Amino acid sequence: MKFLRQFAAVVAVVAVVVLLGLAWNRFAPSLPGEGPGGEAVPVQGSMIKAAPHSVRLSPGGHPGAHEVLRIDNGGALGLDLGDLLQPENLAVLRYTAELEAAIMAAVVIVNASYRSVRRSRRAKTGMPPPRDTDLR
Amino acid sequence: MSASSTTPSAGTTPRRVRVAGRTKLDFWFDAVILLAYTVAYSYGFTGVVIHEWLGIGIGIALLLHLTLHWDWVIRTTRRLLDPRGHDKVIWLVNLALLFAMTLCVASGIAISRVALPELGITTLQTPFWFRLHVLTAEVTVGLVPVHVALRWRWIAGVGRRMLVWRPRGRSQ
Repeated sequence: MKFLRQFAAVVAVVAVVVLLGLAWNRFAPSLPGEGPGGEAVPVQGSMIKAAPHSVRLSPGGHPGAHEVLRIDNGGALGLDLGDLLQPENLAVLRYTAELEAAIMAAVVIVNASYRSVRRSRRAKTGMPPPRDTDLR
Repeated sequence: MSASSTTPSAGTTPRRVRVAGRTKLDFWFDAVILLAYTVAYSYGFTGVVIHEWLGIGIGIALLLHLTLHWDWVIRTTRRLLDPRGHDKVIWLVNLALLFAMTLCVASGIAISRVALPELGITTLQTPFWFRLHVLTAEVTVGLVPVHVALRWRWIAGVGRRMLVWRPRGRSQ
């Protein structure tokens, strides 16, 4: 019962955010970096992704998740399951994983340093350590 | 889920440290969401079909994840004005992530080319929703690792307790 009550509250919060998105589209349909009419997306050849800031993957370059990776798939929009383990496609996944790992490492270093400084400051003043919340 | 990952046995055989079932659920469920998001974000790897269905799955997982941590949301929100309250930075990151990820999934549904048309639902396909999807995906890919890393002590603690074997007789 408690779970259902909390689930209903979550659905309500998410619905509010979606409604804000719809209102954004209705009353101010422009986003950072684009004009009111949207941005034209040039599409040439058989591309599997053509985001507004798309670039063709240069030799030796890192393919971002929203960059274009040119693969000859006969002009089809998507990839089939057999394409998943192609080395050129795996590079996209590796790039995302490396990006996330780099951000995580940076946050952990900053957070650990901050905790270390705060702990030494508390040790000097004789204050008790803070209680962690939500950690079981 | 059971509250223990070990079964009592006599002798000095090594055993895993006891971890509460709810903690294990949080740990593995969150790990799966992180993995799914990483794969879904890598559009060039998944292709459109897997990207869209995985995105819908992440949307449902997001609702469950929020529900499982709703007590924390309420508790931390109430303590925001308390100068001694903790988790303010995490609360702000989580709020931004809630907006970014919800709009990312919603805009993804709005521009769906395969999943929703397959279910007989007509999608919007307007430049606004396309741009919003790209923008929120880029914000989300920056916020998800921050969201995870801010809990690195909990992740390290639970991971160590679940993966490390200790000889019987030692305190936990």
